[in-house]
Amino acid sequence: MTGSGRAPGGEPAERREAGRPEPGRQAGPRRASDELGALLARVALGDEEAYAAVYDRTAGQVLGVVRAVVRDPAQSEEVVQEVLLDVWRSASRFDAELGSASAWVMTLAHRRAVDRVRSEQKAAERERRVPSSATAYDEVAEAVEARLERERVRRCLASLTELQRESVTLAYYGGYTYREVAELLGVAIGTVKTRMRDGLIRLRDCLGVDA
Amino acid sequence: MRFRRDSQAVSVHTLAGAYTMDAVSQAERARFERHLAGCDACRQEVRGLREATAALGAAAAVRPPDALRDKVLRTAAQTRQVPPALSEVPAPRARDRRRLGWRPRITVAVGGALAAVGVAVAAGVVTYGMQNRLDQAQGRDLTVAAVLTASDARMMSAPVSTGGTATVVMSHREHALVFTAAHLRSLPAAERYELWLIGPAGARPAGMITASGRGRMVGPMVLSGLSAGERIGITVEPAGGSPRPTSPPVVMLSLAGGSR
Repeated sequence: MTGSGRAPGGEPAERREAGRPEPGRQAGPRRASDELGALLARVALGDEEAYAAVYDRTAGQVLGVVRAVVRDPAQSEEVVQEVLLDVWRSASRFDAELGSASAWVMTLAHRRAVDRVRSEQKAAERERRVPSSATAYDEVAEAVEARLERERVRRCLASLTELQRESVTLAYYGGYTYREVAELLGVAIGTVKTRMRDGLIRLRDCLGVDA
Repeated sequence: MRFRRDSQAVSVHTLAGAYTMDAVSQAERARFERHLAGCDACRQEVRGLREATAALGAAAAVRPPDALRDKVLRTAAQTRQVPPALSEVPAPRARDRRRLGWRPRITVAVGGALAAVGVAVAAGVVTYGMQNRLDQAQGRDLTVAAVLTASDARMMSAPVSTGGTATVVMSHREHALVFTAAHLRSLPAAERYELWLIGPAGARPAGMITASGRGRMVGPMVLSGLSAGERIGITVEPAGGSPRPTSPPVVMLSLAGGSR
């Protein structure tokens, strides 16, 4: 398991499963992120113990998304360190009004990962990265809660149209811009933009995540 | 009836998905964030989409190397933290909002078609407001808001023959309209644009037009007490203004809208 792990991790995941059919407003995700949010509030005060707990809850996810985008293991680890340090440094800037704590962390992670690949982007590097959501899945942890989450996301991704799914996974896991996605799929730019939005909306509704 | 700005507003809004997934260029990111600052509905949407992308990220979780934990915790302990932002809203957003000088929810309520004009209008509110006493500006802002949010609000836009664009948002229910223009050709110091309400009984002066700032924004100017069948027009007049038009209009907009 991931270090000291997300001890209660399996449980919220179960709850999420149970609450899924009716998009539970106050169900699992919110509760779990409230805990993370509370931890972040303590981190903002310089609480290193709380930070260790935040690390244990988020490092695996941060590494997962960063590695999906960046690919190179050494670079991925660098970016993960930057992201997690960002979390430490700017915990005081987390605002629960603007979204859940985990969404905040994941947004930092994804953006840093994308910024890294784009700033270093040479054509050759770009080619090395295989834009496949399947590959992203292959590398995921054995952790039970991760597997449940993965199953849930996989099921919801399957409910998207093919073009929505491809647009979303190429953008999110592949770190491509919508223009690049349009090019890769041979689809009009406007179409890709709409599919990305529609796909995420459908995903959001399917996951029953709280806004 | 024309909704010239409609497609533009829609296309900005469509970017919500791509933006949430960082699938936009730096410039687009900045542009969309400016849009977000004035769009409650968009922020709400992005918030929801972010939860979805967070789940995508969580699904990709891998087991981090054990050594990473020590390294990160140790580095953190030696890293100074950023102090909290002192305003209620995050700093960049506060700056945007100040520049827009506008309550985002008002433009949102008008809907996609008018949102773009709302922003254009909002940009002008600041300019105009600075030239007036605050209370006047506030009273006018309320009228602007009433027009923009009226259920029968319509937007019309037309090119000005000498250059630029004139736009009107009007509400018959409010008996008022909001006029803005942009990119009007500069005039010699001795001349100015004058706005007219033109009805069956002739033209009545509706105010001198002052363009300023980047894009030579005009207004918003609020005209109330409209009568049925009136049109709005602009002419070029001596700088002091004229009691009645002395030159042919450079633009004319029928206030009846397309549905009549």
